[in-house]
Amino acid sequence: MENTAFNIEYKPRTGSEAMCEALLDEGVEYLFGYPGGAIMPFYDALPDYPLKHVLVRHEQAAAHAADGYSRATGRVGVCVATSGPGATNLVTGLATAQMDSVPLVAITGQVGRPAMGKDSFQETNVMGMTLPFTKHSFLVEDPDELYPTMRRAFEIARSGRPGPVLVDVPKDVQFAACNDNGYRRLREVPAPVASPALEAAAVLLKKAKRPLILAGHGITLSGAELELRLLAERTGTPVVTTLLGISAFPEDHPLYIGWPGMHGAASVNRAIDKSDLLFAVGMRFDDRITGAVDKFAPNAKIVHIDVDPSELGKVVRPTVGIAADAKAALRGILASFEETENRDGCAEWREEIAKSQEPEKRCEDEARNEYGPIRIMHAIKAAAGEEVRLVSDVGQHQMWAAQFFEFTKPNSHITSGGLGTMGFALPAAMGVSFAYPDEPVWVVAGDGGIQMNLQELASIRDFGLNIKVAILNNGYLGMVRQWQQFFHNRRYSETPISGPDYEQFATAYGLSGKTVREGDDVEAAVRWAQEQPGCVILDFHIDPEANVYPMIPSGMSVHEMIEESSAAYGGA
Amino acid sequence: MNRFLMTLQNKRMPVASFTAGRDGSGMRATVLLDCPPEQARRYVALLSGLEDVEGIGAADETVEVALLKVGGDAWRESVALTGLEAHEENGTIVVSGEPEKLEAWLAEIKEDLEDLIRLGPVIRPGDGGV
Repeated sequence: MENTAFNIEYKPRTGSEAMCEALLDEGVEYLFGYPGGAIMPFYDALPDYPLKHVLVRHEQAAAHAADGYSRATGRVGVCVATSGPGATNLVTGLATAQMDSVPLVAITGQVGRPAMGKDSFQETNVMGMTLPFTKHSFLVEDPDELYPTMRRAFEIARSGRPGPVLVDVPKDVQFAACNDNGYRRLREVPAPVASPALEAAAVLLKKAKRPLILAGHGITLSGAELELRLLAERTGTPVVTTLLGISAFPEDHPLYIGWPGMHGAASVNRAIDKSDLLFAVGMRFDDRITGAVDKFAPNAKIVHIDVDPSELGKVVRPTVGIAADAKAALRGILASFEETENRDGCAEWREEIAKSQEPEKRCEDEARNEYGPIRIMHAIKAAAGEEVRLVSDVGQHQMWAAQFFEFTKPNSHITSGGLGTMGFALPAAMGVSFAYPDEPVWVVAGDGGIQMNLQELASIRDFGLNIKVAILNNGYLGMVRQWQQFFHNRRYSETPISGPDYEQFATAYGLSGKTVREGDDVEAAVRWAQEQPGCVILDFHIDPEANVYPMIPSGMSVHEMIEESSAAYGGA
Repeated sequence: MNRFLMTLQNKRMPVASFTAGRDGSGMRATVLLDCPPEQARRYVALLSGLEDVEGIGAADETVEVALLKVGGDAWRESVALTGLEAHEENGTIVVSGEPEKLEAWLAEIKEDLEDLIRLGPVIRPGDGGV
């Protein structure tokens, strides 16, 4: 049978084979998964196809690894699990991908059709369970629908605003013979780029005296890094990024000023406060960015470009809203800035920002020589070089990595932003490492989050992945402890946390590890790790009560920002 | 329809009324949102992105209907000035129009009101819908 849409010939015989054929036709190289009863027919067919399966040690890690692979490559990540607990274990990974607009296809086995709805062994309604945080989900009850449904799942996952799609396949459907495998294309969704709106946005940018470009994850998702840079350079507009937008613009570029929000640089938050135009591209005004919305960017007109039209006006009301892919929209706007513009009009603005950054830079330079997160981040960058990709977990270390690691390579910063999933980094780094086996990959994690998926060291060892792990070990769930210090009168309720001796733990897994304490040579330890083959764990014991500064308390504005010099809030 | 309903719930859409029924091979739903038109248009955009939704449109006009009994005839003159549609049927006055206008008019004649049933707000038949 010929698939006219893709000109691919296929002759699947069973449902499982149809699934594998669809994966091949989508160009899938890696699957991350864990077998079990209801997905066994699929796993039985798998060895007959040139698809590489990565056996994880927990299904949550499969979803995160597929997520990391997708974020690193821009391709659709694929994870596989069995029914019941296998499927429920995927859930956190799917929610993580949904919040950060990462295209995934999750394949789950389901109990056979006759057993469905009878509380059968390992039965859950995974489709119903995942409805709120998947872009779409399918329960395929007709074997003939398997191939086209799989293809549709990929198209839905990557089209428009990307996201995860679940395909739940009953066991007997995987076994069943297939006849009709026709692939029907999805309805076409036009990508609207209204030129009058682009022109209006360009006019606002030309007129602005204190403009800022606010670049989000959409820049990376649409591959618009070059267009972003051109727009910034042609207009002389300073660039700030969201947390997920970090590495969409080189941080060593003179126009880059940092990232804003709850733990963003004070100078950046103040710049937004004074700005007269926020030119926001591929971002969604997350509450961690805006704080109190009514006090956010009070003097600024707002241009908001996002591929998801429902984001426009969701949080802030844009002066000009454009529902379009970031790359397409920026290209359209660049047409209004063909030549380098004379931007003397905002030279004073750039100088003002640069001046406000001086104290922050001085503090950072001083701290580079002291044992702590800043020195560790600088040491990793120095040892791993420009090609490094850094995957961070969630917590204080995530903020330190974002603040003090200089990201100069596109798409080199990978983290769970929207959902804030602890345990994300190690398995996600597996996906990144499979995508780029010859490039250095570093994980930065806390001693809380790393223990949530530490079992994946076995998968990492089995595949010989070159992942270096830096644990910033403060013996606490550090960010929660910091909030307890600031807002709960220092009652450290259930935040002290212990863990293994990571050096010995690494050895037990056949890997290398080293404990680093104050007084040790941080740079030498990092260089040592970088030079070792395969995975290495560095366990940095840091100040238990180190805090992330600055901090804008939740729901407040830049004017309530807590800075390091503050003596309030429980003796911070 | 599950995902559609779940999305209404997840996004905390202010659903004032919801009706659904079979329509040919699919389902047709009419959703009345209790929010400003701009916000409603954003919700329409959000729902239009769902793979299950084949077509969606925002209705231009929302009307509210009220059935009332009023003492005297003064209502005739005052309703004529509001732009509301009104007629009398077996002693019951049927008034329909924009919810805000109806609200204002009812407040104006509240002294004369003897009985009131409000059926509102509904989308004018034939406009928009899913």
